[in-house]
Amino acid sequence: MKRFSLKYTLLTYRFDQLWFPLAFWAFFVILTLLLRDQVEDFDIARAYIGVAIPLVGGFMAAHAILDDPAIELRFATPIRAAQILFERTSLILLIQAVCALAFILFALLTGVDFTPLGDAFHLQLAWLVPTVAMIALATFGAILGAQTMTGAFLVGLVWIIQVIIRDGMAVNNWKYAYLFMGILNPEHPDLASNQIALFAASAIFLFFAWRLLNRQERYI
Amino acid sequence: MIQITGLTKTYGTGNKSVHALRGVDLQINAGMFGLLGPNGAGKTTFMRILAGIVNPSGGSIRVDGHDLTTEAGKRAVKSMLGYLPQELGMYAELTAEQFVDYMAILKGLDDSAKRNKRVSEVLDMVGLRDAAKRKIKGFSGGMKRRVGIAQALVNNPRILIVDEPTAGLDPEERIRFRNLLVNLAAERVVLLSTHIVEDIGQTCRDLTVLARGQIIFRGSPLEMLKATEGHVWTYTTASLEKPNHDLTVVSMLHLAEGTQYRLVGASADGYPTAQPTQPGLEDAYVWLMKQAN
Repeated sequence: MKRFSLKYTLLTYRFDQLWFPLAFWAFFVILTLLLRDQVEDFDIARAYIGVAIPLVGGFMAAHAILDDPAIELRFATPIRAAQILFERTSLILLIQAVCALAFILFALLTGVDFTPLGDAFHLQLAWLVPTVAMIALATFGAILGAQTMTGAFLVGLVWIIQVIIRDGMAVNNWKYAYLFMGILNPEHPDLASNQIALFAASAIFLFFAWRLLNRQERYI
Repeated sequence: MIQITGLTKTYGTGNKSVHALRGVDLQINAGMFGLLGPNGAGKTTFMRILAGIVNPSGGSIRVDGHDLTTEAGKRAVKSMLGYLPQELGMYAELTAEQFVDYMAILKGLDDSAKRNKRVSEVLDMVGLRDAAKRKIKGFSGGMKRRVGIAQALVNNPRILIVDEPTAGLDPEERIRFRNLLVNLAAERVVLLSTHIVEDIGQTCRDLTVLARGQIIFRGSPLEMLKATEGHVWTYTTASLEKPNHDLTVVSMLHLAEGTQYRLVGASADGYPTAQPTQPGLEDAYVWLMKQAN
């Protein structure tokens, strides 16, 4: 039994939340067009794909699971917690991926050169790794606190701290938890270790989110 | 069908812990079973445990041979379950048909032809055929409840759990809903939880009364009435002072000769003119609560 429907996964998604990533996307497109002569297009592009997208993904993920009006009915069906987790977080990741790829395409058309970030694979990793990490952190935070605000707060806090102390993050032992290394420090010798560590941390957050989601009574 | 032994549920720990259920023993067989009790008695916790959503703190529950305290048992029970929660949340942007269809998919009805047929059947059963294509956000409270019961029935459950289903419904809707539940109980277990005494009296042959997490009565409505005989009186007085003497006033009626009170208690010796009267189910419930307190 598949107990899954893409049609209804999309129909039951809160599409009002789509305005949030779309607004960010449009804002950075306008910024690129307006500031073409004053700021490097590359800086605007990497600020969007590597810094803004992870934040937006995190905020959306904080709401993805618990902000469900029919959560009690869903819990009374035999679907597994892992399925709920996968369905909801993968949709958020998909939305962020579409935004990132559309912006990269737009940036390439306006002449932005992404070669400082490495080849096409590393360019994708530069936004994918922090986005997955923020989605995982937000999901775990929301489920741990049994409320969406906890996840959103955690994501906002980690994001702002890392933005403020980004230079320090890259040179001490926190470098493995540095979200923006791939986008801001692409030449860093520990970039591969950083990305592996962030993926591992994401997997751990999602594992604990799954374990906690099995305790359904916390969320009704 | 459902065997419950020593069921306990405690929320929180230490001084702040709340004992929602304190050693409930119960056997429930096919047919309509009523669960009655005041707000905060533990009814919703009990229903959620039976629905596999809340984990018990202690005791054992076996549903059709499946142990509800294990993950495998919970999944097996959820497959044969229909559940209508007290606070019914739905996807307002879906139509009634889409919502029931989605719940059918989540319950494992994969064959789309069979599923469509079943969705139409249950919407028909609850009288929503004409509104099937309308969005839920435009429905009245009663219509939403009917969508709720349709989704609960879509997998043809062997056990149907309905928690306060008639809350907020108008009298006509309530009667219609009660009759529907009685019809459904002909071929399955229907657990009806409510604090509306009348709903139980009109539908259940077997009931239990829960207070402060404990069973204080188990039997039929008739047995409940018999247990109350000799404890209900009517008393008419011109005095403005309400009767007391540890008696509960169940109802009051202003008449030409004064006020007529319906009283429930251990003794009406303080009111020599009080007339013994036949208890109703509401009197019986009040008497049980009085004893429990």
